[in-house]
Amino acid sequence: MTGLSPTGYDLPVYEYMRPPELSGSGRDRYPVVIVGAGLAGLTLACDLASRGIAAIVLDEDDTVGVRGASSRGICYAQKSLEIFDRLGIYHRIRDKGVTWSVGKVLRGQDALYRFDLAEGSRSAQPPFINIQQFYVEWFLVDRIRELGRTDLRWKNRVTDIRQDGDGAVLTVETPDGAYSLEADWVIDASGHASRVRQSLGLPTRGELGEDRWCISDVRFHKDLPVERWTWVEAPFNENRAVWQHLMADGVWRMDYQMLPNTDPTEASRPEVAAARLRDQLGPDVEFDLVWVGAYAYRTQLMDDFRHGKVFFIGDAAHVKSPFGARGGNSGIQDAENLAWKLTLVLNGQAPETLLDSYNAERRPAAVQNIAVTRRSGRFLAPRTEIERMFRTAVMDLAVDHPFARLLLNTGRMCVPYHYAQSPLTTGDAGQALPNLTLGSRSLGGMLRGDGAGFLALCCPRDGEDGLGSTLLHLTREGWPLHVQTVGADEGLTLGMAPGEVLLIRPDLHLAARLPDADAEQVRRALARATGRT
Amino acid sequence: MRTIPNIPDPDAFYEALLDAHAGLQAAESHALNARLVLLLANQIGDQGVLLSCLETARDTATQRRNDP
Repeated sequence: MTGLSPTGYDLPVYEYMRPPELSGSGRDRYPVVIVGAGLAGLTLACDLASRGIAAIVLDEDDTVGVRGASSRGICYAQKSLEIFDRLGIYHRIRDKGVTWSVGKVLRGQDALYRFDLAEGSRSAQPPFINIQQFYVEWFLVDRIRELGRTDLRWKNRVTDIRQDGDGAVLTVETPDGAYSLEADWVIDASGHASRVRQSLGLPTRGELGEDRWCISDVRFHKDLPVERWTWVEAPFNENRAVWQHLMADGVWRMDYQMLPNTDPTEASRPEVAAARLRDQLGPDVEFDLVWVGAYAYRTQLMDDFRHGKVFFIGDAAHVKSPFGARGGNSGIQDAENLAWKLTLVLNGQAPETLLDSYNAERRPAAVQNIAVTRRSGRFLAPRTEIERMFRTAVMDLAVDHPFARLLLNTGRMCVPYHYAQSPLTTGDAGQALPNLTLGSRSLGGMLRGDGAGFLALCCPRDGEDGLGSTLLHLTREGWPLHVQTVGADEGLTLGMAPGEVLLIRPDLHLAARLPDADAEQVRRALARATGRT
Repeated sequence: MRTIPNIPDPDAFYEALLDAHAGLQAAESHALNARLVLLLANQIGDQGVLLSCLETARDTATQRRNDP
């Protein structure tokens, strides 16, 4: 792996292979076809492969990233890192990326607020790692190839899709011509301008924001703390907002808020970008621009993330502005959510109705992410003078008064959605557990391996309590379940009372918290969590 | 006077506050704020706290204006 050279990033190029369908030797039908080898599509392919499920991935390009652009997602949240740990690429992300937890909100020279996301964190993974998106995609491709179950088809562009009663037929263009591919299930991960979505005639509701930003990814020699800094008002950007944080290869992401009517071409001209950086870094700092690009915030949401045999994940289903790193990270969670459900259905361990819960869980998560990012956007780009006046009041008070610091909204960092209303959840469970370490093993480690298993953590009432062995009967009945008895200390860590069972889903969300549990209660919760009731 | 966080959902409150002003002219917004201050003062109902809030609000503004 070479990474960044003086001429830019050296990205891998994957070989296009003539698809067997063009030689008349393909299979009649495939169980799973994924459209799009971006963050969401590759996470899904890798997750399925790690569970023993083969898939075809179709991508119009033959590399990672978007034609060498280093822009796109750089902040990977704890939940994503936990998923990548289970998939076996976390160590590469950790080694290549920049682990951070401290953020600051500034006005001019004043730090109005400092937070440390590591406070109270109990996961085996840190709150955030910054790394260029294409590295994550690169590691996923490597891992998918290592697992050896997935057919990655580069330079295969989907141009059309139609559905019949029990499957879908894709039309795919390649350098050798077009072919048809039949699939039981299609997952569209092809981004905000999805051809699949358009081809099915499905609407997506959205808006293009007026606020304009311009990213400069840059390398320089100046010692700055490895922290995420957000200026609400930066003197070096005409008192508009600026983001500054570090990613791999010593590249800093600087993101400048522009005037609403800014011409994106002019804003991203190298001379203009260099002048902005010069104002920020001072006259004596040498720097190299790695990538510059202007963009506008966009919001999109589909009415239903499933249409017959087709599922939509990531940007194909929902797009929101980047505050709080809720874009890529929510696509990764979409992929994980669908992967374990598809695995159980394809392995005959759950009914197809389980798949309905994908939309029931991930669409409300997207709705919340859009609402949260919209609030941050409104704080950073006040719509009226009165909104600006309130913002100034918040900043004035935040210097001395802690309550006002909580009103400074420069982005609420991505956290997993609480599936309290999900049809799979028993009682008021549904929250994600952090990847806790019990003894020497993490929760995610206990769930690694073929298939998709639930984990029942049980805290015995006393040394005589046979709760754990009773639950093992459920495993023998064929339920996808691992049973782990926890000691009194671990029970305390988990907030468990004696006699309690935590039923944990394959994605570490809590399916049920059962005080004074018995096997029948666990069986009922499992039936619910696998879409049987 | 309490200045530690005490608003249960700060972001939702802030959004509702801005929404209350949506579509108003500046004079109407000032009037809304005046009514709001009086309503909130009556909720607080503690003379000492009210006077501390007035003083803090006024001093904060003075202090900011005097910043270099």
